[in-house]
Amino acid sequence: MQRYLIKRIFQMLIVVFLALTAVFFMQFLAGDPVILLLPMDATYEEIAEMRQRLGFEDSIFVQYFRFVSRALRGDFGQSLRHPQTAVQLVFSRIPATLELALIAVVVSLLVAIPIGVLSAAFRGSWFDQIAIVITVFGQAVPGFWLGIMLILFFAVTLEWLPTGGRGELNNLILPIITLTAFYAARFARMTRSTVLDVLNTDYIRTARAKGLTERRILYKHALRNASISIITLLGLQLGQLLGGAVVTETVFYWPGLGRLLVQSLLNRDFPVVFTGVFFIAVVHASLNLVVDLVYLLVDPRISYD
Amino acid sequence: MKRFWNVFSLVLLVTLLLTSSTMAANEVIIGSPADARTLFAMKFIDLATHDPISNIYDPLITRDRDTMEYIGHLAKGWEVLDDLTWEFYLHEGIKFHNGAPFNAEAVKFTIDYINDPENEMAYRGRYSPIHTVEIIDDYTVRFHTSEPMPILLDRLTSCYILEPGYVREVGEEYASLNPIGTGPYKFTRWAQGQEIVMERFEDYWLGTPEVERVVFRPIPEFSTRVAALLVGEIHVIRDVPGHMVDRVNSGRRTEVRGIPSSRVNYIALVNFQEGPLQSKEVRQAFNYAVNVPELIEFVLDGSGTQMAGCLSVLNPDHDPSLEPYPFDPEKAVQLIRDAGYEPSELKLTLDSPDGRYPQDREVAMAIADQLGEIGIDVSVRVNEWGTHLDRIINRNTGEMFLLGWGPAFNAQGTIESLMSTERTYSGFGLPWLDEMIADAVGLVDPDEMREAWDEIQQIVYDEAPWIFLWQQHDLWGVNVDLDWTPRADERVLGFEMRWND
Amino acid sequence: MPMIWWLRKLIQSPTGLIGFIIILTVIFSSVFAPFIVPFDPNQADRPNRLRPPGTPGHIFGTDQQGRDLFSRVLFGSRISIFVGLVTVIIAGTIGTVVGLFSGYFGHWLDSVIMRLVDVWLSFPFILLALIINAILGMGLRNVVITLIITGWVIFARLVRGEVLALKNRDYILAAKALGQSELKIIFFHILPNVFTPIIIISSLQISQIIIAEATISFLGFGVQPPTAAWGNMLSDGRNFLFNAWWMATFPGLALAFTALGLNLFGDWLRDTLDPKITK
Repeated sequence: MQRYLIKRIFQMLIVVFLALTAVFFMQFLAGDPVILLLPMDATYEEIAEMRQRLGFEDSIFVQYFRFVSRALRGDFGQSLRHPQTAVQLVFSRIPATLELALIAVVVSLLVAIPIGVLSAAFRGSWFDQIAIVITVFGQAVPGFWLGIMLILFFAVTLEWLPTGGRGELNNLILPIITLTAFYAARFARMTRSTVLDVLNTDYIRTARAKGLTERRILYKHALRNASISIITLLGLQLGQLLGGAVVTETVFYWPGLGRLLVQSLLNRDFPVVFTGVFFIAVVHASLNLVVDLVYLLVDPRISYD
Repeated sequence: MKRFWNVFSLVLLVTLLLTSSTMAANEVIIGSPADARTLFAMKFIDLATHDPISNIYDPLITRDRDTMEYIGHLAKGWEVLDDLTWEFYLHEGIKFHNGAPFNAEAVKFTIDYINDPENEMAYRGRYSPIHTVEIIDDYTVRFHTSEPMPILLDRLTSCYILEPGYVREVGEEYASLNPIGTGPYKFTRWAQGQEIVMERFEDYWLGTPEVERVVFRPIPEFSTRVAALLVGEIHVIRDVPGHMVDRVNSGRRTEVRGIPSSRVNYIALVNFQEGPLQSKEVRQAFNYAVNVPELIEFVLDGSGTQMAGCLSVLNPDHDPSLEPYPFDPEKAVQLIRDAGYEPSELKLTLDSPDGRYPQDREVAMAIADQLGEIGIDVSVRVNEWGTHLDRIINRNTGEMFLLGWGPAFNAQGTIESLMSTERTYSGFGLPWLDEMIADAVGLVDPDEMREAWDEIQQIVYDEAPWIFLWQQHDLWGVNVDLDWTPRADERVLGFEMRWND
Repeated sequence: MPMIWWLRKLIQSPTGLIGFIIILTVIFSSVFAPFIVPFDPNQADRPNRLRPPGTPGHIFGTDQQGRDLFSRVLFGSRISIFVGLVTVIIAGTIGTVVGLFSGYFGHWLDSVIMRLVDVWLSFPFILLALIINAILGMGLRNVVITLIITGWVIFARLVRGEVLALKNRDYILAAKALGQSELKIIFFHILPNVFTPIIIISSLQISQIIIAEATISFLGFGVQPPTAAWGNMLSDGRNFLFNAWWMATFPGLALAFTALGLNLFGDWLRDTLDPKITK
């Protein structure tokens, strides 16, 4: 086990390195960052001069080498747009994103798993039918539509809740509803299907024949076996959320990482983009490691030798 | 379980009650689409950055809010000593927020800082003709320029003065996050991506501001920004699109206040490549073929004023003898044929940005439709802003592209930047016109300048490097109880605001 | 299995039937759109812009250029469904195959592939869209390429997880002992058992893909105006939610109904095909 962990951590470093390299070389295809730094009456000479000064005129490999040697020291450089280092900027947004991500996931699971399990247990009932329709709609409805509609209704018409921003408990309500609608729907659907699958296997029928109560069967056996897919999904979605729920953050002007990264991309502020990618790579690689470890807990037949 | 829900609802209720408190007295919150990039003056040129800076710092001179004529500000007056020398006389007794005195040294420091290439100030290109700032005494400075610079006054209306001692002591990076200026509002707090808070400077040299606190709040999503205004969470927003005017006006807390802007929108007709747009007749034809009043009515909902020539009516250099091109599709077809083409032969691409200017992509599509009416095939390519600029600079656009320009209060800024062969955002160039422009730029005598730029405007009108569209109307969404009228130079200054009782 | 057997199974399941009907309706309207629509979907009529639903002639209302929304939704189905289906089929196939091999063979292959997946997941979607746009340009084909490139990963990860759980089950080990070839085992024993999560994610992903298409359109890269696709209609309608809610709502509803149909039908399909479920 220890060897496995060490192996995985080593692989994580490789992943991060590869991700950064890929993004680094892609930046040259995404357009000139200097154009967006200078006013619109700048001359070609001024643009060329700034490129020179920022090091963009050096050969790609020189730039890459410079980038790597700095990154190894944790220095991703100054943001091209803001008066802080890229690292400071990215890390300042993490708490906000973390808050949204964790609460959204917890609430989603709390809502989704019972609904999914009950749906599966009472398959075909009116509860199940309604649940199916709601879950499909929940994750088919575009996030911005739901978000803005919620604002229109609860903030503008009723004036019960603020339109967005971050600060008090109130500010969390609408963004969390928007996020949960999507993620809970997804989890509920996945839970229902995988539990259904398992409920009808020989394994479960044997347990029934043995006289175990239905409840015990459901929670102890069925859910456990169904959980592989749920856990995988959880890992992927949490990873996505930690990278920032862009649409929700934009609609509710939540000062999170997702919004920062998208804006930085559109503004070609690559130092921030690199830092963001670094963070997200570490997050995804770590989550995937955790998920793989949880697989071992859930299903003793899995092994990684 | 039941108890949990009871407690939960109680907590929720209490929280809701506590937070729906009365609005903090006497503050104005301005909603913007983006956050400022920095609070260090003169570093970047963009609206979101300029707005807070214009409240924390003071410029050397400014414009009268009604006539838009130059009036003194930190500099109480000036004199042109000769073609290359300007003398400015500064007010005495003005202090920075940290108590340091405002004087000639601060002015010299600011200009030198801008012109130092090491500092990478975006304004450097605009200030580079100033090669020396000479301190005559504590309250007198002389600007020596390397060539005649009639545009100097225009530049100085955005010359926000830095505190030399402070910048030297803490460095640019710290000063960018904790600015010190002489302006009516002192910096209090910047929660990046959330808000910039500033409080009134009691000892402001023009008197204590009425509004206690000014806040800039970036709300990127348009619908949310309008929602926040309607609910009273914010009090001012820019750029209400025509189709939302009724909604904002019917809100019980809000109304729309409009003002014609000096910012112009146009379609550049690119003549850099071989093709029909290199012929003057074809370009003129496009001006006859596009029904600008119809566009203004149906795409902008009336908020625009058709241009005659390339300068807005608000631009002091505008030549009032020019009339807008009339809508005349038959003449358009005739002109195209005169140039040796058939309208149906023309297949062109129109590049448009997306959301940068009011209804930009809608305008582009409407124009494509209008040109389609006389048989020209125009396909619209909508670009993300960075890509759009990239195309223009790298001369990689279609035959036409949509752009806006402003604020523009002089001819040089518009014509030189947009119609010279060698300029980055130009879509047009004729060597002989380049020469005329270069000559005009060098003039200092106001009469000569007037004559030269009038002549150039007539030529530009005739050569039709653009489909001349309109000057924008700035439509501001404002809280009804806020006593403030928008300015033609787009500035939003807390000092000019007060709350009605 | 004879057709009649399928039909009987379908009729027996009300939800499956509803799903099937919805899908047929969508397919029918997209195929016959040119004949059904009252207006040219790309025809602007500016004096009549932003009319609410119920205006004579326009059941769904008009958009900011005066184009009939009903016609646009119908025509939009063609593009959106095309994008959704093609992406899910190709990305799903790629992801499933990768997941199968990765999970089954394990060891270094699994490590390499999963680490590749990690790298893939870290790469910002918008950057990819920007780059593909820079290299290949605009247009539908490139939107699909972008979506496939980002879309295969979720399938790979899911399938691999399931395979890991399955590969040490008794019947698999038995098959191995009997000397069955690896490929046969993968495709005939393991694949049918991972079918469920694949179908579920596929049906869920189609709507996600269409929304991703909206994101790309929002950036200006995707389907170019004035062509109607639900994605770019959603992005057009975004700034009009206050005073013309119908512009984004009807494409959204169309999207949700399509997703519903696919999900219900997909469930039914899974139930009918699944070897583990005995009735």
